[in-house]
Amino acid sequence: MHLLPNPLPWFVVGPLIGLVVVVLYAVANRPLGTSVAYHQVVLLLRSRATEVWRAWYWIGLVGGCLLAVFLQQGGIHLRLGYSFVSGWLPAPVAVVIMLASGIAMGYGARWAGGCTTGHGLCGSSARSWGGIVATGTFFLTAIVITNVFHVVTGGRM
Amino acid sequence: MNRLGLGLGVAFGFLISAADFNDADFIHRMLLLQNWYPYEVYAAAMATAMVLLWLLTRIHWVTSLGGPLHLVRVAVRRRQIYGGLLFGAGWAFSSTCPVPAIGMTTSGSVLGLFVMAELFLGIELGEIRARGREPRTAPAAGVA
Repeated sequence: MHLLPNPLPWFVVGPLIGLVVVVLYAVANRPLGTSVAYHQVVLLLRSRATEVWRAWYWIGLVGGCLLAVFLQQGGIHLRLGYSFVSGWLPAPVAVVIMLASGIAMGYGARWAGGCTTGHGLCGSSARSWGGIVATGTFFLTAIVITNVFHVVTGGRM
Repeated sequence: MNRLGLGLGVAFGFLISAADFNDADFIHRMLLLQNWYPYEVYAAAMATAMVLLWLLTRIHWVTSLGGPLHLVRVAVRRRQIYGGLLFGAGWAFSSTCPVPAIGMTTSGSVLGLFVMAELFLGIELGEIRARGREPRTAPAAGVA
């Protein structure tokens, strides 16, 4: 059963995502961030969380994503995913690429002081120059590398 | 505060997945500049937040849990470039970032699960590196 259009119109989703940033600032005077929430989940598991609410935010993300999947797609569909990688590379190679990418992103986010949420959505909206520079670097690097590999692999990736 | 965090997490996670950011191929086409929908979502989100935050600062908004509103602004540092390059490289190959990685995993993508697991590891390695540098440097703004 599909209860929602897939995807929702950008002019509905975009402003609502912006409101999430605003509500957190307006109620609690805190910036939204997701990579820090990953860290707080780890700290919570070790009973050392300094901002427990950020771990709850991460748990909420899981719940919200699941809700959308059930409403839009009728449930979870187990698959490898990433057809642009898994469609032509052996599965073990695809796994290694994803493992390395995850580490690079996590380490890079901590190094940069934020990710596409903290710097991208929140920092840029607050007119933080550090956030704007980080966001520009995220996007530019990802777009350039993706397009270079697209050409190098003959359009397969 | 925990309920606020949980509620905002549910809302944000729902919106990201409902906008198809939980599909790696969808993000891959975005990075190839073949799919402009994600950029429209991103621009609309930023514009909305920017205008409303500006209005709140203009009226000297006082928050119910944290006192007078103070927007966190960080100066430009080299680490934003270096970290940004590494993050962008990971983004290019995985076609996801921290919130969509949760979306991909919860939608059933096995490779998305690997990315999300390694995000935890990468962030913790970054924390270890940052803690190792603390005595020699000024306190750094926390990861966001």
